[in-house]
Amino acid sequence: MTRLAFRSLLSRPLRTVLTVLAILLGVAMITGTYVLTDQIDQGFANIFETSFKGTAVIVEPKASFTDIENMEPQPMDAGLVGTVAGVPGVSKAAGVYDTTGAAIVNGETVQTGGAPTLLSADPGEPFDQGRIVEGREARARDEVTIIKSFADEAGLQPGDSFAVAAPAGLFQVKVVGVFEWGDSGSLGGTIVVAGRLQDVQRWAGHPGTVTAIDVAATPGVAPDELAARVRETLPATLSVKTGKQAAADATAQTADAIGSFLTPVLLAFAGVAVFVGAFIIFNAFNITVAQRNREFAMLRALGASRRQVLVSVVAEALTLGVIASGVGIVAGLGVAKGINTLFKAVGADIPTSGIVLAPRTILIAVLVGVGVTLLSALAPALRATRVPPVAALQEGAALPPTRFARFTTAIAAAIAALGGGSLAWGMLSDGGANGRMLFMGLGALLLFVAIAMLAKYVVKPAARVIGWPLQKLAPISGRLARDNAGRNPSRTAATAAALMIGLAMVVFVAVFAQGLKGSFSGAITDSTRADLVAQDRSAFLTVPQKTVAELRDVPGVEAAAGVAWAHVDVKQSGLSAINGIDPETWAAVWAFRWKRGGSDALLAQLDGEHVLLEDESPAAKRFDAGDTITITAQNGGTAKLTVLGFYRDQMAFTGMVTSLDAFRGLGIPAASGITLVRTAADADGTATQAAVQKALAGFPTQEVMTRTEYLDSINAQVDQILTMFYGLLAMSVVISIFGIINTLVLSVHERTRELGMLRAIGATRRQLRQMVRYESVITAVIGGVLGTAVGIAFAYVVVTQLGDGLEFLVPWMQLGVFLALAVVVGVVAAVLPARRAAGTRILQAIQYE
Amino acid sequence: MQQLVASESPRLAPTIADLERQFAVQPPAVVAARGLTRTYGKGDATVHALRDVDVDIAEGRLTAVMGPSGSGKSTLMHILAGLDRPDGGQVTIAGTEITQLKEKKLTQLRRDKIGFIFQSFNLLATLTADENIVLPLSLARRRADEAWRRGVIEAVGLTDRLTHRPAELSGGQQQRVAVARALINRPAVLFADEPTGNLDSRTGGEVLNLLRRSVDEFGQTVIMVTHDAGAASIADRVVFLKDGRIVQDRQRMTRDEIYDTIKNLEDRPARDGEGSPR
Repeated sequence: MTRLAFRSLLSRPLRTVLTVLAILLGVAMITGTYVLTDQIDQGFANIFETSFKGTAVIVEPKASFTDIENMEPQPMDAGLVGTVAGVPGVSKAAGVYDTTGAAIVNGETVQTGGAPTLLSADPGEPFDQGRIVEGREARARDEVTIIKSFADEAGLQPGDSFAVAAPAGLFQVKVVGVFEWGDSGSLGGTIVVAGRLQDVQRWAGHPGTVTAIDVAATPGVAPDELAARVRETLPATLSVKTGKQAAADATAQTADAIGSFLTPVLLAFAGVAVFVGAFIIFNAFNITVAQRNREFAMLRALGASRRQVLVSVVAEALTLGVIASGVGIVAGLGVAKGINTLFKAVGADIPTSGIVLAPRTILIAVLVGVGVTLLSALAPALRATRVPPVAALQEGAALPPTRFARFTTAIAAAIAALGGGSLAWGMLSDGGANGRMLFMGLGALLLFVAIAMLAKYVVKPAARVIGWPLQKLAPISGRLARDNAGRNPSRTAATAAALMIGLAMVVFVAVFAQGLKGSFSGAITDSTRADLVAQDRSAFLTVPQKTVAELRDVPGVEAAAGVAWAHVDVKQSGLSAINGIDPETWAAVWAFRWKRGGSDALLAQLDGEHVLLEDESPAAKRFDAGDTITITAQNGGTAKLTVLGFYRDQMAFTGMVTSLDAFRGLGIPAASGITLVRTAADADGTATQAAVQKALAGFPTQEVMTRTEYLDSINAQVDQILTMFYGLLAMSVVISIFGIINTLVLSVHERTRELGMLRAIGATRRQLRQMVRYESVITAVIGGVLGTAVGIAFAYVVVTQLGDGLEFLVPWMQLGVFLALAVVVGVVAAVLPARRAAGTRILQAIQYE
Repeated sequence: MQQLVASESPRLAPTIADLERQFAVQPPAVVAARGLTRTYGKGDATVHALRDVDVDIAEGRLTAVMGPSGSGKSTLMHILAGLDRPDGGQVTIAGTEITQLKEKKLTQLRRDKIGFIFQSFNLLATLTADENIVLPLSLARRRADEAWRRGVIEAVGLTDRLTHRPAELSGGQQQRVAVARALINRPAVLFADEPTGNLDSRTGGEVLNLLRRSVDEFGQTVIMVTHDAGAASIADRVVFLKDGRIVQDRQRMTRDEIYDTIKNLEDRPARDGEGSPR
């Protein structure tokens, strides 16, 4: 019986290839996800390993919490370097200073594709991993060496000058050397500019401090031993680690960040692809089992047991699954590369290592590929066992309906209820984000299955409506296409459902993004009283509050206010964003939506000891006006702030708002990350914008934008992420195209005789092609319409129930484009089946039994 | 005179046929084949389905093609109908030489000049009887001549079954739909391939009667391939094939004459060494 399975696969090569492709692509995405994230992990691991190569022990200030959005190192007193150097067993201790900034070459900020521009003090031998390949190291004030990739990209050579925008302002630097970094691992798009310690300190605005102390051991002293000795001599606020440990910790931290965000997101998209593939496997098996009806009956009549029939179909599925998994893993390597390219295209240049194919990746890929194929083929296989032997003798006997056919509606309803429940639980429960997402995903999955089961009821009416314009276009082809689409509603429904899933996700993402953009625009437009916004949209460098204050003297400017931003840990409530404002100028540029009876009058009381809470923030749920909250900054500084009142803003200033004085009290940077400027009523807007930009000439990365320009830049950012998501979802749509091709090819095969008759009585090849194409379009549009409806519904539920201040907005234009895309999918999918139909050999067809 | 009578009163056709037989006058040939050869396979496995066959099919006549399995009768019909191309020879249908026609022209010719009736009905399951009947016209994007359509439907006796789908019709009714479909475009020639093969004798008789009437009442030219001596006995002319050659060609035969002829053909060994594909 197993040999029969192979024979069956070989006798339908096209179906075999298409089904393999359907599952293969999903497997490839899973493999690609793991390969890529492993490559990124490994890439970072290589970087860290190299960075700490010559470092036996490293001393750093302890961060009170890990903030993945702000990895900026904390400074500490440079005097500690001498203390460390005095510890027995230390051969050398070097203070280093690392900060981030931007490079400005010929007046243009160098874009790094999301990677940082590191300004780094050269720690010298043995710590430095840079090898000068041209010129020499920096010896004098504002001399720098630069990484080769940057030198090549920007066309800089020793002797050239450029500027670095640093936390303390703009500094002209002179290139004296070019270095290559390490010998393994790329730094992605990262720019490294290395100067003398005192220069980097000055650029950072923290003279006399270092962000780390690199320590080398005298021969014979083990790093662990040395670390223990150093630790003893230093205060507990500092962390002392061996270089090895530091590399491992940094690696683990990035791996954690990737594992908690990138991996699940990519896996979710891969999951959608696998799910779509499952539909196609199910459908393909269902159709071939129906077509092989007589064959199964004959086998049964010859004495084959039901079990043997089952085994033969399952063996077929198993073979497909194994092939798909195997090829899928190889294709996954390509997918990893593809996703990385996609990241780069949307401006995220992430360091990666060479190909990493972990055993875990292979195991998961095979389990999913084989498992899903077997699972999807199980129901059709069981159906095959129910073919009665007598069917062998009957002309055109149909497959017996499944035992559950009568209960389809009830079963679908039960699945839908389960899915809805799971979705609701995921959205409303208080569990961790990943757990909730899992429940929501499971809920969506079950709902999709239920909709696909019920979709067969809408196929006929839908085919009539969608077929109507086609019938106007070409009466007979349109009519026949319409009928054919409605001929086997379950088959059409399952085929359309595959496209529905991909498109529903696309629509969901589109509607969600539209809501995000609209809500943000709405929030900004409603609340801001400012006309101009200044921000560094790439390196997020800040402007000192002093400079912001000076903007008030620029002609045409009526008011200017800078907002500082940080993360703090709130006692009993967790990590929160905190915004620092100048209460005196604030009301001129921003109108809070006050809650719980607050008003702008509260701003008068806002000082270094008071705080305003965002009404929906976790802290606002725990604390009331008059309560005192304790916050801890990343540098360990703490403050007790009394809650003054509440405002609503889930877009611009989330978390909490306090006075800049509180920031200074905490010892965290109070410089302005976003500067709001209000122009005088009678001022010329364009002239004022230019004047403000000029006043910020010392901060060339600051972009002075009108409110509209600012919103556009935010929208462009959302659109970039959207593009990436579309790219990832494209795979699912492609898989569903294979599904449509497969169904049509099998249907065309099934209708060979009919096609032959049509040709005999005068149908042209063109008419047959048209007929198949229209059927394909009808199927695809059913999938498209269902997908659009489901996507909008999901988005509505999530947007309105999940809150976060999102508005439910439908991008109708885009939805129109998606539906047009469904038509295109239909036309593309029909190419091959239509050609087959048109190529029907009349004689063979009409004699075909 | 003959033409005059034929066009004015088709009901007199049998009489005219009798006259023609009497005076050995042939009406014009609507289908003419010259020197048709068709072989399948190569080397030892070569099968000569047709060997240099000449045949003229007269207008307004029912011609039956008979012969044992493998005699080449189906091949002959397929070639005459433009479904298959001969290796050599020519076929003319209503004045058009078809063996060199391009695929597209051939399709048009089938659509406009030829009607088909298949053994297994071959109706489209999703269309109603009426829609199936007008399918050839729909494919040509033409409207039916209402009077003709009504006449045909009446003749096949399906007036009250028009909105039914094939699954709701009996085998005989389905084949009557197929006959109506074949007549709807007033083809120059109607090919019937074992039209009664899937029917019981009573419904088969009805269908044969219908074919006969189409010849008598509408002046239709019909070529029917059949195994069945009874079916062939309604023909104006019976052509017998064996081993790819026409071995007998006779006007009106009774069922018994046909039986005898078949028997003789089967008993007589093949004329040369190459056996029939049987």
